[in-house]
Amino acid sequence: MTARFNFMHFMPYVHLPKNHKDYPSLWVNFPNKYYDPNKAAALYDRYLDELEYADKVGFDAIVVNEHHNTSYSMMPAPSLIAAALISRVKTARICVWGTPPNLEYPNRLAEEYAMLDVMSRGRLEVAFPLGTGMEYWANPVNPATARERHKESIEIILKAWTQDGPMTHYGDFYTYRFLNPWVRPLQRPHPPCYIVGTGSPETIELAAQLGFGYSAVFVTKKRAQELNNNLRERSAAHGHAVRPDQLPLGIMTYVAETQEKAEAEFIDHMRFFFEDGLRTVPQYLAPPGYLSIDQLKARAAVGDKLHGAFDFKLVNDALFVAVGTAEKVANQIGEWGEMMGTTHFNIQGALGDMPHWKVMKNMQLIAEDVMPLVRGKKPARLAAE
Amino acid sequence: MVDFKKETLKINGVETVLHTAGKGEPLLFLHGAGTFHGYEFAKPWADKFHVIHPYHPGFGESGDDPAMDTFHDYVMHYVGLLDALGIEKVHLVGFSLGGYLAAQFASQQRERVKTLTLVAPAGMRSAEYPTLDVLATPGEQIVGSLASNFEVLKPWLPTGPDPDFMGARYREATTLARLLWEKPWDPKFLRYLHRINVPTLIVWGDEDKLVPPQHADIWKKALPNAKVEIFKGAGHLVLDEKPEAANAVAAFAAAP
Repeated sequence: MTARFNFMHFMPYVHLPKNHKDYPSLWVNFPNKYYDPNKAAALYDRYLDELEYADKVGFDAIVVNEHHNTSYSMMPAPSLIAAALISRVKTARICVWGTPPNLEYPNRLAEEYAMLDVMSRGRLEVAFPLGTGMEYWANPVNPATARERHKESIEIILKAWTQDGPMTHYGDFYTYRFLNPWVRPLQRPHPPCYIVGTGSPETIELAAQLGFGYSAVFVTKKRAQELNNNLRERSAAHGHAVRPDQLPLGIMTYVAETQEKAEAEFIDHMRFFFEDGLRTVPQYLAPPGYLSIDQLKARAAVGDKLHGAFDFKLVNDALFVAVGTAEKVANQIGEWGEMMGTTHFNIQGALGDMPHWKVMKNMQLIAEDVMPLVRGKKPARLAAE
Repeated sequence: MVDFKKETLKINGVETVLHTAGKGEPLLFLHGAGTFHGYEFAKPWADKFHVIHPYHPGFGESGDDPAMDTFHDYVMHYVGLLDALGIEKVHLVGFSLGGYLAAQFASQQRERVKTLTLVAPAGMRSAEYPTLDVLATPGEQIVGSLASNFEVLKPWLPTGPDPDFMGARYREATTLARLLWEKPWDPKFLRYLHRINVPTLIVWGDEDKLVPPQHADIWKKALPNAKVEIFKGAGHLVLDEKPEAANAVAAFAAAP
């Protein structure tokens, strides 16, 4: 099948202090005295090298994202990372998935993204997440009106990209007397856009309405399938047909010569990712007004098994996790592609505190052994059609 | 003790639930940001007054209106409520968040206020004695800071995980966030307090860990006609903890 492979990097700050387990959350209030700029500089060099290599071995796109006040990610300003990548990454597309548009002035974000699109000669793709609950403790934006502001921000950005200025915008949150950014994206009508979320109906509706792609993160396989179906259904209702490449599917992926070796090399880093990357507390996950009352109650009832705890079997069963030989991983990816109706795979292959050599080896094996296998396979459903 | 009856009114489209009891001059009680501890302390007031205990929009039994995102909206809500009830003037009593609201109501609508009682009112900005930021404080910690005598709270708290209780608190925090997330203070609040010329009582527990009792002096200086009563050994929930504090509220309204 035609398959697109992204390589996504979380760029964690991995040098946690010995006493870090004393902190129930590595987000929001984890003291930044533990941040060593020299160590961070070395990590940036290393991570950028890794993403440059992803391009060299043949990944179709590079994905970066945004988080604040946390060792989980060193990308509070992902556009800067994207800018640093443009001259290093020669052919892959550059995906900033992305800055929550309600955390920035929308004209400014429209400008930043347009600059990236122009400078990369039309290789930019963007996602407009609402942002995790944690971002609202770090930024001076009201979580109780986050969704409305998010929606208006996207409206302004699209207007700035697609209509001739000067324009005006008199909204609930923003007033522009002269919306006329003097940078316009190279791709017309605008760079490919996605919404990234955890499956709330409001977010799906927004993606459907705007004709954007959609990607659900940290939801179970079953739920992700439902969400893709919902998106197709809602998009159709708004007159948009969702293409398979508009549904990026995040897959934690690690490939080695044998199943045992893959698990032995990878599982500890997954553990780090969940226990020492995502670790946070319910209060930070759900600032007031960020969730509906029903969602809060539903989440409280099931409990949280992702943000600070790790059980490989549970995660492996519930989420999209492909660990093993190239053949096994390729089969899984092919199968999930069919199940999810997508040809767009967002490979998360640099997880937690993986050392450089494992990231490089993993990328190479995925690119050389997995990608050709998946691409050579014709999905049963399409073959039947 | 008289029984309170429940009544539901639509005020500017918002379903507003009030519990009322007693005969006499109307006394309007404005509750704080957490309604879970009830209003047992206000029940004896119905011996002398027509007590009106409404739930603010977005709190307790009243409905939601996400468009209400300023204190002015809440002041206008209570103007509407008094109009709907055909009440010209009330004894106004506000606790904590309700105290802040009562002070705003009185500064803007003093002709409708007979006496004003502020019980551990929130809203006064003090760098020296900061108010606990309840929006940033974990729920367990807020509960632990509410009373000096934790026993008064126990009957109102769930004994285990309780999604409904959590949901109700989250809803009230959401309403509070609409009002206060971006700006927990109104820099112009002090500017208009001098308009409150009605007799005013300020009540505080000397062990208040939420709104420091030192604020009583700041309020007294800002209000032209106020006196202060401090109750020893009481925390923020001074009315729940000290029956004599609740008695003082009724006594002041009866003979200011």
